[in-house]
Amino acid sequence: MISLRLKDVSVEGRLNPLNLEIEAGKLVGLIGPNGSGKSTLLSIAAGLLPGGGTVEWGGCDLDEIDRMERGRKAAWVPQDAMFSFGFTVRTVVGHGRFAHGDDGRGIDEALDRMDLTLLADRPVNELSGGERQRVLLARAMVTKAPLHLWDEPLGPLDPRHALKVLALADELKQAGDTVIMSLHDLRVAYYLDQVVVLSEGNLRAVGNPHDVLTPELLFDVFGVKADFVSSLILKLP
Amino acid sequence: MKNWLRDHAMWIASGGLVIAMLASLGIGDMPLSLDRIWAGLWNEDEMASIVLWQIRVPRMLVAIEIGAALAASGVVMQAYFRNSLASPGLLGVSSGGAAGAVIAIGAGWAAVSFYILPLMAIVGAFSATLAVVGLARQGASTERLLLAGVALNALLGAVTSYVLSDFTLSYERNAQIIFWLLGGLEDRNWDHVLMAAPVILCAALLWPLGRSMDLLSLGATEAQSLGVDVRVLRRKMLALSTVMTALATAVAGTVGFVGLVVPHIFRLMIGPEHKRLVPISLIGGATFVLACDLIGRSMGNIRLGIVTAVLGGPFFLWMLRRRT
Repeated sequence: MISLRLKDVSVEGRLNPLNLEIEAGKLVGLIGPNGSGKSTLLSIAAGLLPGGGTVEWGGCDLDEIDRMERGRKAAWVPQDAMFSFGFTVRTVVGHGRFAHGDDGRGIDEALDRMDLTLLADRPVNELSGGERQRVLLARAMVTKAPLHLWDEPLGPLDPRHALKVLALADELKQAGDTVIMSLHDLRVAYYLDQVVVLSEGNLRAVGNPHDVLTPELLFDVFGVKADFVSSLILKLP
Repeated sequence: MKNWLRDHAMWIASGGLVIAMLASLGIGDMPLSLDRIWAGLWNEDEMASIVLWQIRVPRMLVAIEIGAALAASGVVMQAYFRNSLASPGLLGVSSGGAAGAVIAIGAGWAAVSFYILPLMAIVGAFSATLAVVGLARQGASTERLLLAGVALNALLGAVTSYVLSDFTLSYERNAQIIFWLLGGLEDRNWDHVLMAAPVILCAALLWPLGRSMDLLSLGATEAQSLGVDVRVLRRKMLALSTVMTALATAVAGTVGFVGLVVPHIFRLMIGPEHKRLVPISLIGGATFVLACDLIGRSMGNIRLGIVTAVLGGPFFLWMLRRRT
């Protein structure tokens, strides 16, 4: 169980000072147009981007947590990874255990969960974008970290794997982990406990998606007209 | 086949090194059989003993040291820049070391103390490393990396040419400078073996960094998120690779393409994991330089730097073509 608190965090020209508190065990979506600051906010929360303000994980200032401990406490999934060398899928997933002394625990389970078992010995730089994304998510799984920060994890995934990732996120939440992911598909936001809306580097709204995602806000933030109608709903069998 | 190669690569490389070492000891103006090599090493054959202990053993050891150093340096630079085309020669680090050595010779400092030349090579190599890190940055595209290397090599080449063109230099100093530019192992003695000996320490310090280098080669941010102290790791990598390149250059001059060819071949054979790639490249680099030296010696004493360039140049073009 780990909560996240951001106090006056900012990055010049990308994110204006904002405060945000996310309780432990929540499934949270970051939404906003391109360039609104979602990735910047996630990077700051992960301690990967220097900026103003303070970040606390579970009430502890991030500056006081050493690198290895950070690797055990938080799993970060980048938007896309460019693999320069042909590490095998199994090796890259195994990197998630680096901060645990490379004990190799949970790798097979994560490969299976992300439908990567048959690709385990393939070089990652020969995979498609969606397959690469599943590798990164499997690596996040094996960290067994209580805080997950995923940057657009669903972007390159097909519908079945996107649902599998949402199911995984829900499982992590049930286990008490905190999962924060940036999203572009607003329909996905309704699977989550909480949404954080960003626009032009400013925090616009935080709360339950049913309360926050009003037609007025969506028009204001995204410049789109929103009609709430019944549509195609996909579920895992 | 690939799995077999991967599982047996270390044995193949070690076997290759032993064969190359024996050939290096046996082949020359005075050919020595295995029996005479054995007898000479134990001082039971006076003539063979003189040839081995005064000429061929130090030359072989210097070849092993510089081959291992340049290959390991290439592995480190490729992980640092996340680009398999990065190498000490192409990025200008070797030229920096050579420029430092050439300045030491041209200014007459090298004559003052035996250690000034390697120190100046280290200073030159570090200056070049800092420049190329500033110009190319981590994860730089192949084009940017190569252009940075071209610019730096041109600049350092101009420094070397300027010293060489100084008409006040004696013939002897000019000859010494040309030695650095061509790269070679002629007349290398035990002092040179000792001069390059810190390469062994650098290799030992490099070995434990393998896993962190794997993560860094995926990207600095990713490595940091997984628990790597990226700033410290980068400093160690740059320091070790630069010192190794500088020492290799200090004892043998500019020997190109070793750091490019050797890691690439072994990466194809055993994969990119540095825990295995570093040690096998050390062995492979030593074997490659010994083999190139033997080729040069058996073809009328062609300089080592020329042989590695003739073999490495087409290999580099093949790699470039494969990438595009």
